[in-house]
Amino acid sequence: MRSNKILFPFFVSLFFFFEQSNLFAAGDESLDKVMRFMLVLTIIVIAFVLWLTVVYSEKNDLEGRVFKAPLTALKKALTKSIPIEKEQEILLHHNYDGIQELDNRIPPWFAALFYGTIIWAVVYLLSYHVFDDGQVQSKEYNLEVQQAAFERQILIKSGTFINEETVTLANDAATLAEGKEIFAKNCVTCHGQNGEGLVGPNLTDDYWIHGGGIKNIFKTIKIGVPQKGMISWQTQLDPKKMQAVSSYIMSLHGTNPANAKLPEGTKWEEPAQADTTKTIGS
Amino acid sequence: MQVEKFSYDNQIVKQFTIAALIFGIVGMLVGLILAIQLYMPELNLGLQYITFGRIRPLHTNAVIFAFVGNIIFAGVYYSLQRVCKTRMFSDLLSQIHFWGWQTIIVLAAVSLPLGITTGKEYAELEWPIDLMIAIVWLTFGTNMFGTIIKRREKHMYVAIWFYIATFVTITILHVVNSIEIPVSLIKSYPIYAGVQDALTQWWYGHNAVAFFLTTPYLGLMYYFLPKAANRPVYSYRLSILHFWALIFLYIWAGPHHLLYTALPDWAQSLGTVFSIMLIAPSWGGMLNGLLTLRGAWDRVRDNPILKFMVVAVTAYGMSTFEGPMLSLKNFNAITHYTDWTIAHAHIGALGWNGFLSFGLLYWLIPKMWGTELYSKKLANLHFWVGTLGIVFYAIPLYWAGLTQSLMWKQFTPLGILQYPNFLETVLQIIPMYILRSIGGLLYFAGIFLCVYNLIKTAKLGTFIKNEDAEAAPYIKEKDQMKRGLIHRWLEKRPAQFALLALVVVLIGGLVELIPTYLVKSNIPTIASVKPYTPLELQGRDIYIREGCNTCHSQMVRPFRSETERYGEYSKVGEFVYDHPFLWGSKRTGPDLHREGGKYSNLWHYLHFEDPRQMSPGSIMPQYPWLFTQSIDISVTPAKINVMRSIGVPYEEGYENFANQDLMKQANTIADDLLNNGVPAEPDKEVIALIAYLQRLGTDIKGNQTVNK
Repeated sequence: MRSNKILFPFFVSLFFFFEQSNLFAAGDESLDKVMRFMLVLTIIVIAFVLWLTVVYSEKNDLEGRVFKAPLTALKKALTKSIPIEKEQEILLHHNYDGIQELDNRIPPWFAALFYGTIIWAVVYLLSYHVFDDGQVQSKEYNLEVQQAAFERQILIKSGTFINEETVTLANDAATLAEGKEIFAKNCVTCHGQNGEGLVGPNLTDDYWIHGGGIKNIFKTIKIGVPQKGMISWQTQLDPKKMQAVSSYIMSLHGTNPANAKLPEGTKWEEPAQADTTKTIGS
Repeated sequence: MQVEKFSYDNQIVKQFTIAALIFGIVGMLVGLILAIQLYMPELNLGLQYITFGRIRPLHTNAVIFAFVGNIIFAGVYYSLQRVCKTRMFSDLLSQIHFWGWQTIIVLAAVSLPLGITTGKEYAELEWPIDLMIAIVWLTFGTNMFGTIIKRREKHMYVAIWFYIATFVTITILHVVNSIEIPVSLIKSYPIYAGVQDALTQWWYGHNAVAFFLTTPYLGLMYYFLPKAANRPVYSYRLSILHFWALIFLYIWAGPHHLLYTALPDWAQSLGTVFSIMLIAPSWGGMLNGLLTLRGAWDRVRDNPILKFMVVAVTAYGMSTFEGPMLSLKNFNAITHYTDWTIAHAHIGALGWNGFLSFGLLYWLIPKMWGTELYSKKLANLHFWVGTLGIVFYAIPLYWAGLTQSLMWKQFTPLGILQYPNFLETVLQIIPMYILRSIGGLLYFAGIFLCVYNLIKTAKLGTFIKNEDAEAAPYIKEKDQMKRGLIHRWLEKRPAQFALLALVVVLIGGLVELIPTYLVKSNIPTIASVKPYTPLELQGRDIYIREGCNTCHSQMVRPFRSETERYGEYSKVGEFVYDHPFLWGSKRTGPDLHREGGKYSNLWHYLHFEDPRQMSPGSIMPQYPWLFTQSIDISVTPAKINVMRSIGVPYEEGYENFANQDLMKQANTIADDLLNNGVPAEPDKEVIALIAYLQRLGTDIKGNQTVNK
């Protein structure tokens, strides 16, 4: 009869635990799972308290001796500590300026920890440097980069991620307005308020140093020309923004702003449809 | 047997105690100033001498070697005499030791703000001071061994084992890590370069923590804790096991400061596994401390001394668990270079070293003045203020470290860094920096309560300069090593004991250091890596002088989040001419290893003038003095010569033309600045620093694919 009282909540909680076993797997509904886990935990705690009251009332175990008995035994087995009342028996004949020493055993849990870490160390070294090639961090890095490149490819194919090969000219007013805003914030210090050119070249004429057209302009913005002071923007502007500002720059073509800087680079002619990836310079 | 009468020297203990308190206040004050400068850089008042990069080493040196150092010596001089039942070997050596050590501290306090530094963490002092340290340290050792040899006690108590290990190991660490070739009286270059220097330095740095902040303090704990608690030490066997295991394992763990760097994988793995194996031996000390208090816990409640000691030992247990966890690579990848490390270090420093020191002082001063502590209430107040200080110090920093690290690593769904601007991640944690400085202030306030209480205590009693004692002499008798009593046999033989300790600590050092020095495959050479030009070399020395490396690392780790942010990850072959290495250990600002060519000369020029005109909100200090001070070209030839002597391939006779090249390069930069609208004098220090920064990481730029 009594064993049922112990076993029942035990099996109930076990059931819920297995139910929750995928809790720590990453997923979108993780918050939901946490909530469910908390609910189950609460039920288990309540069940445990109920069980305690039953045991206590039945055994009249007010000091909790019966309940604690396994714990006390475990503690004793783990520490092998001699009780203070008996410590005279293990008092060594050492006396250093009044300091005495006991001869308590090394606590078994401590020894287990000590030897456990040594075994762990051996396994660690063997698994990385003997059974594997020992190229721990470069391998890890390459894997990470490959994974990212793979994901990037999917994004590019799906059209979510724009790069210099897939970028297209945007003509809608909203994108151009966004492009103008980005231009005003980041580009005017070198290329002038209207793209007429200052330290940087004129962006309104037919001549381009690193190739004209949406793809080349996008590429120049993305990668930059550091040796000439044009920084790379790809870590600061996401591809959509670079597309917007590239499109805006394209829209400046032929606007003939005041104080225009003299043409630099070569005259750009939009190539035939087939050959759009060709770039000049780098 | 005839009982001999003698006396203990309390005078030297008193001197070290007073010095510890004075330098403790100074060191902690500098720490507080640094903590505030992190969000208020203008607190340097425009003075180069109290700018962050210069006084950060002052803070670490002051608290480690001045405060903790003096407490160690006070505690050792007090306890050693008593567990040896003899006066110190020589009062004269004691005094030479005392005044020598204080002179070193004063020299450090003058030279570091002047920018005289080697740039190696916790070993910043230049070579003349290094020599002095060696001499004074050996004086201490002679005095200590002299005392042990003339002891009246048959066996050496466990505290002495720890003192011996401390002396032996610190001697080796200091000597090996300080091998440097002088350029002038105030400048030297270490003979090691790049990864070798990094490994040597962190072998030293880690074990300075182990053998200066840990083993001597364990020795002190083994004397003062049982004394204060009036209880026998819990387990003699545990003492033996954890002592030998600790000193053997500790020395190996240095590479855990260099995880995911250009250090060879095998050395990193050794750092990791030995750190994990250190958990148990470290906890052995904590256990023996806490379990010694069995049966005295009721007294902890109303005894501030025991309270301090309990928290100290607990903090020791916490940080020696946290340390191994931080050595696991996946954990380290998150916490390294962030404020987490600072929090971790301060749990050890404020909790373990600080609180054990206070506990010790509250016990020691009444004893030496033959009286009772002036006010238990004040000591209790100190305890609570200090504990609160530690909590307010550490928790915000853990939070800050984790926050910033996650921001560094965060990608958008498109695979682009979410926070490409490093500054954004700094601004996010400024409130944590403010909270942390409040924690620091609380802890700092506590030490004044301590000083006041101790002065009042001293006034209550009279100082016992020479404390009378008596003991029977120790007559050596022949004995055999017996099974089960081998250690007992060893405890009677200080020379053999020291020798064995030496062998035990040498093993780990040799296994790690020698292959790195000798085996070529550890450092694959890169043909395009060339020595620095004279101007870049001068700029590099300015970088070291200003302590740029205290806030900027030069080590891009092999993580995608770092190669996206900074560029190609750092290769071991790129650092072969770096005497010393400047990898850094904390990123308060961004990594600089791929800084070369990232911005224009003009950008750097304006950024040094006022960082906030280029990066609004930046917490980097201004460097106006770089614009007025001229490059000291008189030492260029000497620098070239020394560099050549330690393996940097400058051609014979190049020292004669070095300054011509230097001026040529400086003029190029000045011309470029002029073309961009800023007239700059080519002979100013800022030009050299810009030249160095523009060189950084560019040697292999040709081989890399910058973009995908």
